[in-house]
Amino acid sequence: MKNKTTTLEDIIGLEHTKLGFFGELKNRNAELRDSNLELGRRQREIQAILDGITDVMAVVSFNFTLISVNHVFGEVFSQKDPRGDFCYRVFRERETPCPDCPMVIARETNQVCRKLHIYSLGGKNHQFEITASPIRWSNGRGYRFLLLMRDVTREKEYQARCYHAEKMATIGVLAAGVAHEINNPLTAVNGFAKGLQRRLPRLEACLKEGRASAELMADFHEYLETILSEGERCRDIVQELLTFSPRKKVVFAPVDLRKLVLEVLKLLRYQLNRRTSRLICLELDEAVPPIMGVGSELKQVLLNLIFNSLDAIREKGTITIRTCRTDSWVVLSIMDTGCGIPAEHLDKLYDPFFTTKPVGQGTGIGLSTCYNIIRQHQGKIEVDSVENLGATFHVKLPLPSMVKHE
Amino acid sequence: MGVLKFSVPEIFFGRESLKYSSICARRLGAEKIFFVTDPGLEQSGWIDVIFEILEEKNLGWVHYSNVSSNPRDWQIQEGADLYREEGCDVVIALGGGSPMDAAKGIALVASNGGRVQDYEGANRIKRPLPPMIFMPSTAGSGSDISQFAIVTDVERHVKMSIISRTLVPNISIIDPILLTTKPRELIISSAIDAFSHAVESYLSPIAFPVTEIHSLKAMELIMKYLPRALETGSLDDLEQLSIAGTSAAMAFSNAGLGVDHALAHSLGGMLDVVHGLIHPVLLPHVMRYNMTVCQDKIADIGRIVLGRSLGSAEATAQAGIEKLEAYFDSLKVTTRLRSIVPDQVNLSQICEMAIQDSCVLSNPRAVTVGDMVGICEAAW
Ligand SMILES: [Fe+2]
Repeated sequence: MKNKTTTLEDIIGLEHTKLGFFGELKNRNAELRDSNLELGRRQREIQAILDGITDVMAVVSFNFTLISVNHVFGEVFSQKDPRGDFCYRVFRERETPCPDCPMVIARETNQVCRKLHIYSLGGKNHQFEITASPIRWSNGRGYRFLLLMRDVTREKEYQARCYHAEKMATIGVLAAGVAHEINNPLTAVNGFAKGLQRRLPRLEACLKEGRASAELMADFHEYLETILSEGERCRDIVQELLTFSPRKKVVFAPVDLRKLVLEVLKLLRYQLNRRTSRLICLELDEAVPPIMGVGSELKQVLLNLIFNSLDAIREKGTITIRTCRTDSWVVLSIMDTGCGIPAEHLDKLYDPFFTTKPVGQGTGIGLSTCYNIIRQHQGKIEVDSVENLGATFHVKLPLPSMVKHE
Repeated sequence: MGVLKFSVPEIFFGRESLKYSSICARRLGAEKIFFVTDPGLEQSGWIDVIFEILEEKNLGWVHYSNVSSNPRDWQIQEGADLYREEGCDVVIALGGGSPMDAAKGIALVASNGGRVQDYEGANRIKRPLPPMIFMPSTAGSGSDISQFAIVTDVERHVKMSIISRTLVPNISIIDPILLTTKPRELIISSAIDAFSHAVESYLSPIAFPVTEIHSLKAMELIMKYLPRALETGSLDDLEQLSIAGTSAAMAFSNAGLGVDHALAHSLGGMLDVVHGLIHPVLLPHVMRYNMTVCQDKIADIGRIVLGRSLGSAEATAQAGIEKLEAYFDSLKVTTRLRSIVPDQVNLSQICEMAIQDSCVLSNPRAVTVGDMVGICEAAW
């Protein structure tokens, strides 16, 4: 027990005195100061973490009153200081709690709840992913909610776009496969039809003269014409479908879009009558630099879009073809004042064989071909449309400096 | 003479000084008092007086009275746990040496942690104790003044001495009125304990004038007022005994004790006898043993006991010791060791334990186990 025997000096205890609390207090003070500094540092760290969160954060009481919000709130919502106000009033301009409130679900299940809500911000609908998590006392009972609100509008758009691209790729492979399969028999059909056509004079020579023979020959002539013209139509469709297939490496050359537009219009000269040709306005920026691409393919795209627009305006209205450049794109826009595209059609626009034209008047592969061509140019094709007011297709092609080399 | 030291608490002395206890406690920052008494005091009515005084100052308290005479280590532990559980801040003790020593132990363990055994010996306390206010109800133990605490280690059957200036209470409130309700035996044993404190501290090699005058004054007052107090029971006489006890305590806290107390502690640890009643048995023999080295000082004591000087210092000293033995006899207290200690107890075992006691250090004459056995045999 004793590791040192007591001496008389110990009892006098010259070096010992009744211990007071002063030293203790001093130490405690120093400790408190240190821990205070540490707490301050930690608080700043946590604040920095919180400030780094780019979602709207709000603490809400059980009765839907906003207790506090983070700085992102001010960037997203217009209200200055929402504290003390009801969340449903601030976020959705309602007078009663929302029927599908994630906080209510979180409270009932005592678990984190996630929901998608659509808020109208500045006249535009935004999709928000709301996460409500109960904040608990140390005894585990919840007393408030932490709301995290993330604007996922863009994410959802990207998701849709990604989904579409995937669909297009699948359909493209399918269509190209079918086209290849049809191509050979079609060549045979066309070849043999031409062969038959060449043999028609000889057939005629073999026939006895007479009305019946003349009628038979007329039928042969007409039917073969039909076979050949329809066969050619089939060949064209097959050719277009083949653009869906991953193509062989083609050589991109500089293409001047302005020249391209003018050439296409020259091509169209015969198809447009005097009235319709006046409906087309040009706003071609001479400063637009050439882009890299395949001229014939781009011509095909432009032709397609112009035909679509002509259909849309039905000989009254205007079509404006415009070129311009942005930071990373050269944009070719074809704007019409036609009937526009119904909203429900927008996401099917580029699907192969989707068409609103009567059977026999369109194959429905025009725009899907355009989509494929532009995609192969590393570009984008987008549409703005207001029903009954018109539609604008934007073909965005990358500036040569922005092209990714594969 | 080397450098010596004299330290005492703030002392309140006088009738009805008890009422200052709550004011002192407040001044020391108290909100919840840890109040230690012995169970015997509960019937006396003094506890309720203190509670009233505390209540007046809106002080809360926790009352702990599970303290036996010769406080045990586990009682200290229990008290310290209670102190911490209840979040007390100041320790007040009311009673004799036992509750005061217990209160010191509790204050020590509550603030420094560990077990009371960890602090056995001198100057082993590292951190301050909660403020202590002690109100002695006997005029003997001096625990309200001293830097000692004596606690029994139940397992080892040893009285542990804990020595530290930090154990000196902050405030000692000595109210003689407390003595008026004491039985005769307690007044005698307390006075004899105080007398033995005075004698041993006077003979100590580290005694110096500041302690010596207290020793001498204490002896003088006890010789004069103990018989009168026993006869009259008057407050005036009891008050003088109170002063004597306090003086003796101031002396021994600073100058230390001697072999008489070393043996008393050892016997107390083994047999649980009343501490004050061991001195009539041993003190005269210890004085005789010490005579060879401090005859003059023992003669000083003789002069007080006899009330006069004899021809030589030796004669005065001898006669003084004899007179003292006769006086103890007249008080009808035991003066033979055999009436305290059962036959089967091994004396040398007791002495071997006593030689470890720190009181041995301040005995004027060096002592061996054999010397101690000799003293015991002489007292048998
Ligand atoms: Fe004593």
